[in-house]
Amino acid sequence: MLSVAARKRFGGFTLDATWTSNQPIVALVGPSGAGKTLTLQCIAGLIAPDEGRIVSAGRVLFDRAEGVNLRPQERRIGYVFQGYALFPHMTVHENIAFGLRTRRRAAGSLDRPDRTTAIIERLDLAGVTAKYPSELSGGQQQRVALARALATDPDVLLLDEPLSALDAPLRRELCGDLSRTLRDWGKIAILVTHDLSEAYQIADTVVLYEHGKTTSAVLKNDLLWHPSSERVARLIGARNILRGVIAELSDDAIVLEWRGGRLEAARSPSHQLHARAGEPLAFFVRPEYVRLIRKNRPVTDGLRQTNLFHGSIVGERDEGATWVLFFRLDRPGAPSQETFDLEIEIPKLVYERLNISADRHWDVSIHPGSIQVLPH
Amino acid sequence: MDWFPVWLSFRVALLATLLTVSIGVPIAWLMARRSFPGRDLVSAALLTPLVLPPTVLGYYLLMVIGARGPVGRLLGKWDIELAFTWRAAVLAAAVGSFALLVKTAQSGFESIDKRLEQAAQTLGHSDWSIFWNVSIPLAWRSILAGTVLAFCKALGDFGITLMVAGDIPGRTQTLPLAIYDHVQANQLDHANLLSLVSVGIVLLLMLAFGRIVRLRY
Repeated sequence: MLSVAARKRFGGFTLDATWTSNQPIVALVGPSGAGKTLTLQCIAGLIAPDEGRIVSAGRVLFDRAEGVNLRPQERRIGYVFQGYALFPHMTVHENIAFGLRTRRRAAGSLDRPDRTTAIIERLDLAGVTAKYPSELSGGQQQRVALARALATDPDVLLLDEPLSALDAPLRRELCGDLSRTLRDWGKIAILVTHDLSEAYQIADTVVLYEHGKTTSAVLKNDLLWHPSSERVARLIGARNILRGVIAELSDDAIVLEWRGGRLEAARSPSHQLHARAGEPLAFFVRPEYVRLIRKNRPVTDGLRQTNLFHGSIVGERDEGATWVLFFRLDRPGAPSQETFDLEIEIPKLVYERLNISADRHWDVSIHPGSIQVLPH
Repeated sequence: MDWFPVWLSFRVALLATLLTVSIGVPIAWLMARRSFPGRDLVSAALLTPLVLPPTVLGYYLLMVIGARGPVGRLLGKWDIELAFTWRAAVLAAAVGSFALLVKTAQSGFESIDKRLEQAAQTLGHSDWSIFWNVSIPLAWRSILAGTVLAFCKALGDFGITLMVAGDIPGRTQTLPLAIYDHVQANQLDHANLLSLVSVGIVLLLMLAFGRIVRLRY
């Protein structure tokens, strides 16, 4: 368990990070300059917060009120720096063994040669131990940085953008490797990334950063499928964030007034919603869940008749494997997103089968389960 | 011709450089990596020997190490004389060359990626250990370059040496002083030879300096 409360002012920027996670792997996600690296530096003791308290596995690392501020050397924190920060004048072996060469550890019970050898084997670095960092590939450098940090057996491992220095194909491959290494290791790891999908693949919980402020740590599935607010939905890049008015409310469904029509949404019993009929409500519709239906064709299954809208495609974007279509309803009034009402994502195959480049008028049906309401 | 000044200058410059390096490198590290009150003042003070008239530096140094100065009096208790001995020449050369070494080494320390030293901290190493195992090995080119510059400067000191060590032939007459004396005595062939020796030594050292700067770790 790790709990962080850190406030730090830096000129015009203020970091105000408060979160607690009891899951092994936490990802801090947000744009650059949002305070993610600063948080890691506070946890590692490289920077002292102006106020706050940082507790790792029951040990108080920092507490301004109690005057506790352990030195980085005493915190038992491993740090994989952005760009890896390997010692350029040491070989791979010397880099990895460096953390075991301190006087305090020399006196301890750690069997140093054994530990170094074990970690070198585990991270598949046996062939390059005599090389210098500049002679290694990006992926190897990343593993050396990981091995160096893990060799001292820290309580918590901090990883600052561990994959961003790599090319895209390699990044995908190493994402899985990194995830496995961290799972095998089994202690608390904190991963900083600007890429939500990377966070989703590796971490258990996610903390979102924006302008130095944080959300609490949220289980990753909850974050994607039940964002806690409109702000969180925007931060995770949710599309089709729309606003309607609650028309009817029952235990398992919400009917919304939207663009002069009725939109039926399923209501998840596990997620509280404090709202009444007549109140405005934000919601979002996942672009890949909107179904296209050929016009004037008899509708056979009942589900397709709910949330059925007429309209036309007013724009499109080829994204390689998928197409994004911008759909505008045949209804009076301004469209809900500048020039269109819904963003729809379909596989390329469907785009070609339905001959969408020629045929622009469609009906769409929105599955009630794909509409996520956003509490205030 | 008397070759003693050449030999004396070598010895003085070598000892002065040793003194400068052992005090100057830690100070350069402090200036590059630590903030403390009065840091800007110290930084400015470190530069002044490069631009102050040598006579001013020599005057203050004499006030400190002279028979009536604080250091002079202290050493006087053990019958150690400093002023107007070859030891004073070492101090004079050290004072004149100190700033060159500190500034060169400081820029070497400043150019080290801070994260390397931070990584060593999180790996449990003390500041002392980081200084020796990370900072020095990564800044050694700058330190060596600064050392060569400081040695050359020490070899050529005239004004400060004259003020605190005098110009005693066979005792404190260094190479630059000897050249001056030869010119005064109209022994131009001697002055010419010693000047050529000076140029030769410094040229060789500067060539070495150029090689050092291009080396890797």
